[in-house]
Amino acid sequence: MNRKRFYPVALLLLSLIVSSVPVGARPLPIRASQASSANQQTGTAEQTTDDKFVFGKVDQDLLSEINLLDERFEKDGAVYHEIGLDAYLNRVGTAVVAQKKLENVEWKFRVLRDPVPNAFALPNGSIYINTGLIALLDDENQLAAVIAHEITHVSRRHTYLRNRSLRKKILAINIINTVGTWNPVGGPVGIAIDLIASISPLMLALSVLGYSKDQEKEADLEGMKSATAAGFAPDGMPNSFKAMQRDVEGEQFNSFYSDHPKLQERVTYTSSTIPADAKKPSEDDAKTARDDYLALMESVDRHNVDLAINEARFRSAVYVSQKLVALHPDSSENVFYLAESYRTLGPRNAKLNNEQLTSGAKKKATKTRSKRTLEEIDAELLKTPAGQEAWKANSAESEKLFLRSLELNRFNARAHRGLGMLYERLNRKQEAASEYAKYLELAPNAIDTERVRRRLAVLRESMN
Amino acid sequence: MRLRVRFVLIVLCCMFAHHHATEAKAQYLNPKIKEKKVTIRSAVILPAKVEIVKESAKGAEMMVAESADISNKTVEAVGQALQKKKISVVTNSFEPAALDDARKYTLADIQSRYDALLPKLTSKSKDVKKARFTLGDEVMLLNAPKDADVLVFIRGAGRMFTKGKTAFSIINIFSMDFPFAQITVGFVDARSGEVLAFTKPLSASKVLKDQKSLNKMIESSLKKLPAATP
Repeated sequence: MNRKRFYPVALLLLSLIVSSVPVGARPLPIRASQASSANQQTGTAEQTTDDKFVFGKVDQDLLSEINLLDERFEKDGAVYHEIGLDAYLNRVGTAVVAQKKLENVEWKFRVLRDPVPNAFALPNGSIYINTGLIALLDDENQLAAVIAHEITHVSRRHTYLRNRSLRKKILAINIINTVGTWNPVGGPVGIAIDLIASISPLMLALSVLGYSKDQEKEADLEGMKSATAAGFAPDGMPNSFKAMQRDVEGEQFNSFYSDHPKLQERVTYTSSTIPADAKKPSEDDAKTARDDYLALMESVDRHNVDLAINEARFRSAVYVSQKLVALHPDSSENVFYLAESYRTLGPRNAKLNNEQLTSGAKKKATKTRSKRTLEEIDAELLKTPAGQEAWKANSAESEKLFLRSLELNRFNARAHRGLGMLYERLNRKQEAASEYAKYLELAPNAIDTERVRRRLAVLRESMN
Repeated sequence: MRLRVRFVLIVLCCMFAHHHATEAKAQYLNPKIKEKKVTIRSAVILPAKVEIVKESAKGAEMMVAESADISNKTVEAVGQALQKKKISVVTNSFEPAALDDARKYTLADIQSRYDALLPKLTSKSKDVKKARFTLGDEVMLLNAPKDADVLVFIRGAGRMFTKGKTAFSIINIFSMDFPFAQITVGFVDARSGEVLAFTKPLSASKVLKDQKSLNKMIESSLKKLPAATP
């Protein structure tokens, strides 16, 4: 091969080789004194533990940005605060952390105001659990498992490793693109270079994402170990995945690529690691654990219902409110939340049916949501017999529940407001105006007084 | 021959890039504004969210502090542009530090309502002219000053290139990979939540470094917005 042909080919191959070796398989900068003892303990040279992670400039830069991001979440009102809840999360988190002290890590356990069921960890030790996930979980063991999973991401420095890997791969993609663009070679070799140059960025991009699947599995299995060591039930991890499998909004479908292993797969491999002789709680104990957890999370769950409604996750709002009412059926507040959820559900069915749960239907619904506004989707649904039927049923259920909420506490101002909004939508103007007036009388200083006052004024004007 | 074709392609790419790098002043007005059924006299500018990243040959890096800084500068630029149109401006009534948790949450919820609508607003901006978009009267939960006519939502994204990335983008001219800044400004009726005006200027990334260029870009992007009449 002459020189003209050799350089592009060599450069291409070199970039591919360098970028395709996973970071974990290459030696990381290791403190010499620590390397041997770490290896003796783990028995592997590749395993990356906190002991042998050495911060480079790239990692320090990432850390300082992450610290700023952490502050921004707080400033932007994304973090939910409640004294009892903060203390509780800290207690569970600290138990799982088990005095792990890591360089540049300060453990913080926080609730993120987001109705999407998710949790994530920042490499500085801030663990965020969305209100949507808290509402979906059933007990403390599952919560501990989720926290333990995220703690493993931090303690194994997954973010830093992924960032390092990503940087190398992106550099390789840039080099490959350059070689492909300026490939001076003609003939079959030239065609081959062009082909490699056009395919390899995609392959590298996929390998960047694929690397994360291993980290997720490691976080699942290691997290399970730490949660169990802290005294939580080992089935917390598989049960947390089972809880996440409740596809209330119809969002889980097979996409071309997902960075997490499939939930069923995770249930299987985590369940298989539970020792056969592990103690199983009795039915009664399990119920008590569920009720205790729900009671602790009652106010977060209510907050999550508000968030879910704000973000048009109406089915989730109904699901969580139903749990709240099942916990305290005589709580006027909880009944109010269920009533409000049914009111906002409008022409949708509360639970997705089998037809709506097919992958094709879910994809179609996602596409519709991305193209149409909420008002347009509601109008389209109302044109269908099923939408009409759901609207009638939901309105009736909502009215019944608002009235029940007022029966339990006649001073529940928000139930009056909800009834007002429902009646307004049902064109029962007189009753709507009366409910709004009662709301304003009971809650003259509420945050939405101006909004309700305006609605009342418009109603009265239309009645005259 | 092969190199000659490439040269022509490069020239075409340069022309295309130059065309797109200069300011694109897309502006859309709700008929209520156009027909003067609604006049904007007072505006409340909500905290902006402009995210910028630094791109090197090894990928993108967050610039959290710089993003916050450019967000504040954009609020300033929008404020100045509105004042030139005799629209009175309130910018600091939602300073997060001055808010209690409840108000902070309300602001975050309204901001996320807008964020949910933004992809539709951006992709189908022309539909603002058909009065298609609204945030609902939930916007009143913000309890903006009573005389406020509109709430102004500012969003943006920008990429700044390092020298290495610049070199790669020049060499790989066909990949059309350039630094840019796109800022969107949405004017939402402070009572009904209806989107009254939307603008999405696109510019070269110099606006992220130079306040004067930013002011100029914002000002020209709001050209169609009618001035307040006494």
